[in-house]
Amino acid sequence: MEERDALLKKKVEPVVEAIPAEKLEQLDDILCRYEGKPGYLIPALKDAQELVGYLPQQVQGRVADMLGVTSSHVYGVVTFYSFFTITPRGRHTIRLCLGTACYVKGAKDILENITREVGITVGETSSDGRFTLEAVRCLGACGLAPVLLVGADTHGNIVPKDTVSILEGYQ
Amino acid sequence: MVTLTIDGVEVTVERGASILEAAQKAGVRIPTLCHDKRLVPYGACRLCIVEVTSRGRTRTMPACFNPAREGMEVATHTPKLAESRRMQLMLLLRSHPLLCPSCDAGGNCRLQDLVHEYEVPELPFTRESRYYHVENESHFIRFNMNLCVRCGMCVRICDEVQGENELSFIKRGMECEVSTDFGRPLQCELCGQCAQICPVGAIASKWLVGTARAFEVNRVNTVCSFCSLGCVLTVAERKKKIVAVSSPADSHNEGNLCVKGRYGWPYAYSEQRLKKPLIRKDGSLQEVEWNEALSFVAEQLMAIKGSSGPGSLAALGSERLTNEEAYVFNRFARTVMETPHLDHAGGYGYRALVDGLGSALGFPASTNSITEIREADVILLLAADLTETHPVAKNEAIMATSRHKGELIVIDAVKTKLTGRRGTHLMCKPGTEHFVAFAMIKEIIDKELFDRKALDLRADGLDELVASLAPYDPDAVGALTGVDADTIRQAAEKFARASRAAILLTDGMNRPAQNVLLARAAANLAVITGQVGKESGGVFVFGEKANAQGAIDMGLAPDLLPGFRRLADEEGRARFEKAWGGPLPQEPGMNAAGILEAAEKGAVRGIYVVGENPLETYPNRGQVERALGSLQFLVAQDLFLTSTARLAHAVLPVASFMEKNGTVTSAERMIQRLKPVWKSVEHKSDLEIFTALAAMMGKPAMTYPGPERVMDEIASLVDVYKGVSYDRIGDRGIQWPCVDTDDPGKRRLYEGGFPAGKARLQPAPTFQASPNQGGPFYLTPSSLKFHSGSISQFSFSLLEVVAGAVAEMNRSDMKAVGLVDGDRVRITDSFGASIAVRAKGSRRAPAGVVIVPQHFSEAKLNTLTRWDDPAPRVRVEKV
Repeated sequence: MEERDALLKKKVEPVVEAIPAEKLEQLDDILCRYEGKPGYLIPALKDAQELVGYLPQQVQGRVADMLGVTSSHVYGVVTFYSFFTITPRGRHTIRLCLGTACYVKGAKDILENITREVGITVGETSSDGRFTLEAVRCLGACGLAPVLLVGADTHGNIVPKDTVSILEGYQ
Repeated sequence: MVTLTIDGVEVTVERGASILEAAQKAGVRIPTLCHDKRLVPYGACRLCIVEVTSRGRTRTMPACFNPAREGMEVATHTPKLAESRRMQLMLLLRSHPLLCPSCDAGGNCRLQDLVHEYEVPELPFTRESRYYHVENESHFIRFNMNLCVRCGMCVRICDEVQGENELSFIKRGMECEVSTDFGRPLQCELCGQCAQICPVGAIASKWLVGTARAFEVNRVNTVCSFCSLGCVLTVAERKKKIVAVSSPADSHNEGNLCVKGRYGWPYAYSEQRLKKPLIRKDGSLQEVEWNEALSFVAEQLMAIKGSSGPGSLAALGSERLTNEEAYVFNRFARTVMETPHLDHAGGYGYRALVDGLGSALGFPASTNSITEIREADVILLLAADLTETHPVAKNEAIMATSRHKGELIVIDAVKTKLTGRRGTHLMCKPGTEHFVAFAMIKEIIDKELFDRKALDLRADGLDELVASLAPYDPDAVGALTGVDADTIRQAAEKFARASRAAILLTDGMNRPAQNVLLARAAANLAVITGQVGKESGGVFVFGEKANAQGAIDMGLAPDLLPGFRRLADEEGRARFEKAWGGPLPQEPGMNAAGILEAAEKGAVRGIYVVGENPLETYPNRGQVERALGSLQFLVAQDLFLTSTARLAHAVLPVASFMEKNGTVTSAERMIQRLKPVWKSVEHKSDLEIFTALAAMMGKPAMTYPGPERVMDEIASLVDVYKGVSYDRIGDRGIQWPCVDTDDPGKRRLYEGGFPAGKARLQPAPTFQASPNQGGPFYLTPSSLKFHSGSISQFSFSLLEVVAGAVAEMNRSDMKAVGLVDGDRVRITDSFGASIAVRAKGSRRAPAGVVIVPQHFSEAKLNTLTRWDDPAPRVRVEKV
């Protein structure tokens, strides 16, 4: 029985990383607004992620305590939405559209350029903590294809060779 | 009501019932994989789809969440439906590992049964390899999410019924699985409901691993022996080891169990069980044969009776005896030992029922059935931390506050799991809960929030109550108890205006001085607001141990005979004198506290203790120790060599709940059969011992061939048990009063009025603060959900979860005393008595309160508790 379990075993390893004390204090200040309101779980998580950058176990635990829900429930929501992340992200998140229109207009080349220049592929974070790359299915801006989003900025009608110069604007 | 036809069978059901429920009523089976009647319908498995023809159109729809409508024609097993179900099963099998031969659920798996039933011939789809988490670190329960079919029943029962929400669906789509956050081991109540409800082997009991297959075990239905709720257990046993405990879905507890009921049993085959009787020879306890031990006990009891008179003997029974044993022990004590001094449960643990509900309403018992609580609009929890004491009853409060949108009013000195639910928490100082309740009564009377004319017809004593309530002004009570006066007023109004309001309290030895006052307040509130004798109302007093109700029914009290007859009652006494063939004392004897006091002074010289451990559980340990130590003769009848047994002159090892026959009566008056899971050759049942001793002590008339005959005698003498027999109890149990052989028993008391014609409102106690001395902290003795009395210390499984007493303190208090988690502290009371335990920070404890669990011998908590003080003041220092 145990051998079988061992074969099938694949454990989720929690990410343990120290969060500075002042960040935690700021977090508590933000979460105060949602105290005892379980219905505000997603806004609370969004605010927490904006502050900390990601949602490690410690942060999820604080959110759970403050809103009065269980940490399992928080974890369920965090893992459901791709917007939330439990691993640290780069300072800038690149969301590259790989939808049909963008793909046809050369998104694949843009992806290759990013991978070559920054050294990361989809789902990864660069070792200097500068970029995280995500692929999305459609950003609803097919008229501007190919499109990529860096943080909150939208870049449209990109010529693949310009990729590097766009990214240079984000340090 | 709507009438519909299912597979040609016409059936009428209530409006709102689902097609599935209608089919069950019609006796038609519809296959399901994600449905349980305790849960809100979910519709995930799509196996319950049926063809419904209504107004000329035929459609397929899931039966579990579509309501039955008038005139529907439902077909459940057409070839098209069978094909569809077969397809569903083939899709499920795509990713379900076919390791059935090594799976613990093999032979007890709903998926396996359905695949067999629908004759799934092949697996046409490419198999999908899934690697989900496997978790073996939790207590009792193991997870193998590779086997999961995502029916969601574990997640839902954890949330909807248990209120724990420990499990959650994580991730999404193909990667979805059930887990805790970050896959950590469980930190919940460990009730195992998820393991029982899992239709496959994804969540299972660890005990099963490598012990037995589902078809190799011997299953016996019996009753749980831990708390007084009387949950039905199905014990699966193999080779005298319990491999799984579940509960039938059609039981009155609906298949719900708590951690103790499911995993607390190993005490029954503990290595520490006594195997042979012991008697004290040359100063030490030595093993002897049964005959020698019994004749030694008989001789010694006779000797004391002869030399110092029967009044120098005393008998202490237990809430863990069966009805039959308690009845025979009563007869034994009063007609063989001939002593008037008979008591149990510390003498105070059960008085809430007798002196509270009994005096006010008529019967010393909870008024309604437990499953009604969930429909109440308001539930008043009077110092009742049900999560820790009666976890299955807590589920009712969870369902009431979530599914039924009811509200709680919690009057408690500590935070409990239920204080976070919908409703109000009136957090008062420890030991003042009853003042808050009486202040609520005053507010209801002053504001005329009740029907005075109706009250005059159903109760006496309003004027005395009003007079005694004069000092209970909410402002004054607020100042003394620390609860905001307006909150008390609002709570009173909310309670009075609720159309269905139930009051719950618990009874036991952790609160000896206050039990009765709380019960009187509860009875008053229920009578005044007209909540007695109606559905989802009433007062519930949950006793501490399995047969708490039965011990009262059988009169294990200094002033009672079986059937609540007072000793002073001429007719009742005559009835038992005739049946028992001996004179009975007219005056009540001493209660447990009195017996121990008399023993200390030498007036009581011999005590027969059955199934109790006074040294660990009675308040004022110092006194108990002195009293038991100064006895000429002490008999302890127990499973283990308890600390009381160590002081005894004779120790008689008895059969456990797993080994004996009999009946127990639960807190909802349900009389149920206890059946032996295995037979013990070494141990005698308490009943056998009593009759053997009676014969040796010159009363051979007291013989019973077995517990069934004892029940026949009880039925002939006790009015509320009149129609009860083993045949009638059957597997379902029967709720007293059951007055003749056609009476099906009663779910509710007082529906047709009170036995005395009217209820008697109970006056309020003197309103004053307890003398404020002894230290800055209140000591609150508590129960833990993982333990029960002191017996659970012998279950390795429960010790694995909580091994010893840890004092819970507020973090601010810990800082002030200079403590960190795990430090040892000395807790000292005003008499200078002290105990040393480890401390930890806890959210349950408000500032100024130390919570210490009462179950552990090594903590000796009862050194600090007192018969008359519900919340002693103590000092806390770092050791």
